[in-house]
Amino acid sequence: MNALGFAWRSLVRQPARAALGILGVAAVGALLFDMLLLSQGLITSMRDLLDRYGWDIRVVAGELPRQGPRIRDGVTASETIAMLPSVSGVLLVRVADAKIDRPSGTALNASFQGVDVRTSAGTGVARRPPWTILRGRDAAGPGEVVISESIASQAHLAPGASLMLRPSCVSEHEALPPTTMRVSGIAEFPFASETEDTIGGSFAALRNACSGNVGDEVDVLLVTSRSDADVTAAAIRAARPDLNAMTNDDVVGRLQQTGFSYFRQISTVLTAVTVSFAVLLITVLLTVSVNQRLGEIAALRALGFSRMRVVKDVLSESALIVGIGGLLSLPLGLLLATGLDDILKGMPGIPAELHFFVFERGALAIHLSLLLATALIAALYPMRIVSSLPIAATLRDEVIG
Amino acid sequence: MKGFTGFKGFRGFRGFAGSGLFVALVLVLSVEASTQSVRLKPDTTSTPPDILITRQLAESEHLSVGSVVTIAIDPAGDRAREFRIAGIYEPTPNPSRLGVVPREVRLHLPDLLDLTRPTGGVPGTEYVSSINVALTDPNDAAAFANDVNARMPGVVALPSSQAAGSAGPFRVLERFHLAIAVVTIIAATVFLLALTIMLVDERRQTVGVLRLIGLPVRRILIQIFIEGVIVAAAGAAFGLLLAVASERLINGFFQWKYDTALVFVRITRDVAVTCTSIAVPLGAAATVVASWALLRRSGLRLVRR
Amino acid sequence: MIVDAQNVSRVFAMPAGPVVAVRDVTLQINQRDHIAIRGPSGCGKSTLLHMLGCVDAPTTGTLLFGGENVSRLSDAKRSRLRLRQIGFVFQRFFLLPMLTARENVELPLSEAGAGKSERQKRTSELLAYVGLSARADHRPSQLSGGEMQRVAIARALANQPQLLLADEPTGELDVATGQQIAELLDRVNADGTALVIVTHDQELAGRARRVLMMRDGTIEHEVTT
Repeated sequence: MNALGFAWRSLVRQPARAALGILGVAAVGALLFDMLLLSQGLITSMRDLLDRYGWDIRVVAGELPRQGPRIRDGVTASETIAMLPSVSGVLLVRVADAKIDRPSGTALNASFQGVDVRTSAGTGVARRPPWTILRGRDAAGPGEVVISESIASQAHLAPGASLMLRPSCVSEHEALPPTTMRVSGIAEFPFASETEDTIGGSFAALRNACSGNVGDEVDVLLVTSRSDADVTAAAIRAARPDLNAMTNDDVVGRLQQTGFSYFRQISTVLTAVTVSFAVLLITVLLTVSVNQRLGEIAALRALGFSRMRVVKDVLSESALIVGIGGLLSLPLGLLLATGLDDILKGMPGIPAELHFFVFERGALAIHLSLLLATALIAALYPMRIVSSLPIAATLRDEVIG
Repeated sequence: MKGFTGFKGFRGFRGFAGSGLFVALVLVLSVEASTQSVRLKPDTTSTPPDILITRQLAESEHLSVGSVVTIAIDPAGDRAREFRIAGIYEPTPNPSRLGVVPREVRLHLPDLLDLTRPTGGVPGTEYVSSINVALTDPNDAAAFANDVNARMPGVVALPSSQAAGSAGPFRVLERFHLAIAVVTIIAATVFLLALTIMLVDERRQTVGVLRLIGLPVRRILIQIFIEGVIVAAAGAAFGLLLAVASERLINGFFQWKYDTALVFVRITRDVAVTCTSIAVPLGAAATVVASWALLRRSGLRLVRR
Repeated sequence: MIVDAQNVSRVFAMPAGPVVAVRDVTLQINQRDHIAIRGPSGCGKSTLLHMLGCVDAPTTGTLLFGGENVSRLSDAKRSRLRLRQIGFVFQRFFLLPMLTARENVELPLSEAGAGKSERQKRTSELLAYVGLSARADHRPSQLSGGEMQRVAIARALANQPQLLLADEPTGELDVATGQQIAELLDRVNADGTALVIVTHDQELAGRARRVLMMRDGTIEHEVTT
């Protein structure tokens, strides 16, 4: 019987104990796996979200989109940038707060995104708004808007219906008359949070709602480059050094340094704590198990089992507990990650399509490596016990005991 | 995330303003706007107005108390004015701005208004983001807020304790950490059961002999329960010590990492009581559950090898 | 000659001072010897047995097994020696509770590298030899004391050792069962394996051809029949 078979029989000998040990490893392993998914999950998800909609570069006046001042001459800036040879198209976005009047009397707070496209001559790039139409069609003119599913449900609106909204275009302290707009479609807004109600339309529609009181300020310019995004960003910076042109990688890098970094740090801390916890507990389990079988081990040594063999038995037992528990930890971890992701996505301002826990092969590889290291380290002390066991003294103690 | 604009301000500024007002007015600048628009340029002219700057700004721009700097709102530097650095302060840690280095400047309100007023703007038509009010009796906060709301339409007054809406991210983090804690407790409980089963099994012969000489199961269980409580209490105490040590390590690490005075982990009395009240009953219960399975067997079976 | 022990002593360092468990013992064990070691408790019988079985090393003196100085062998070589040349039978049996009788007997064969068919054949032979073919698939908890000891003897004989050492083999058995074990051990010896038994059992000791009386760590006298 080889060491692994022997270890299996040792485990099965005490099924309750073995099952609990394995379950414990599964629970700890699930947490470990989730921390590894979290460490890069947010960045991976954000990068994917940014890349998905086809814009390579974001141009803002501040440090990050919608965090900081607006671009004062945004419309002019978009035209300048659109003329750059490496630029394929520019989408300018202006966001305003708005209240939607409801028959019940309670107004619904929403965010109104007004967009417009600028392209270099001859590219024929069609407008690609930052939303996806689910039902109906996109807004066509200054009197039409698309709304999010949440607004449609709360205000009981469908494509073709009218809505009255009161935007705040300059500051929160405006009291503009309500404007009636026609709902042309229901859309999904990828960068809106789950609690954020969003309206989308053309820049002209926003101007219309704001009674022309918008000016040229925009929040962000979304740029599509013809070739290399870094080259295009450099060209934009050269043309407009007062603005901040960031490639998607730059945005992700910036987020990594700020709010996102907390999750990486906490995942590192929790990974370290989880691994230490697992090593400690498995070491104790194995040590107690070995101490209960010292007589048997001494007898096997007396019969001719080598030191290496009894050490391998202990290591195999550790490998089995951690191996089986580790395998169980994967589906458990994915289930737990779904729950934790739902909790964290409740954070205000987090885009609905952003995820904190993202499965990556790299995370799986690290998880398996850590489990392997855990099995090895946890077995070190009990291996030392069996390898240095004084055979004669132990046999004597067993008789006396 | 949007920065705090309702955050309690720097009280020390009260004396600095040289005012005899009961209520301190503190101006909190929007950090983004100020750091974007401020250009610091050491200069030497006669007695400019005083300002305070954060330690982080002083370190990054190599400034010190007494330095005279030029501040402008316009990126081109138009309408710049000189100010003298009267002091360097440690900013109140703002958890919602974690990772952002607080490069802040604090001015007297009149100086700021002069600096930021648009050309041709009429003095007195400016607006501030928020006003923080310190009452002589903090218990009057709710009544005061209601009074202000009634007298000044267009203004929203809130007691500080109700500003929790802006703490939304931290509520979420609280739930997240709680979920992690629950999983950890479950894993620990499972391991604990496994260990107690093993440890109880080691004493099966002793227990078997006690049964054979006539001790009732209940008596043995009480003994085991008491032992379990003692061991669990000792374990909980050790765990708390470990937690306190970890608290220092974690806070030290993150405070160094983010150059902040923010406290990330705090072991409060409530936390200690909650942990102990979970750990001790769990430990005692695990011992009793593990022993119960053993005590269901006859004494002879327990004694037999 | 299988074992040649010359002036072997074993001293244990204790907090209260060194304890001389075995003092200047000289002993030879030859092929087919049947030796019983008797003496009061604490006289060093088991310690001597452990040294003869290369489980423990003498503090002073020379112990040769098959002409090799045991003290100079590495732990791995000593293990190998025990596996192939020496068999051990213990008072407490020390069968592995999670393995069947068959698997317990097969263990040393597997460790020695024997092939599957060879292991199976030899195991069946041994179980038949000790009269337990019908109980081959039973676990130790399902066997009586005598049956467990018979399985232990079969296990000890797995690799056809030259020397079988038994430490109080009937210590935990009743008289009748002990007699059965004694008869089995006689058969083992008659079939060519040298046998050294440590025992308090007068009847068991009486079956040996050489009886060594120990007291205070030394062999007081030897009775040869």
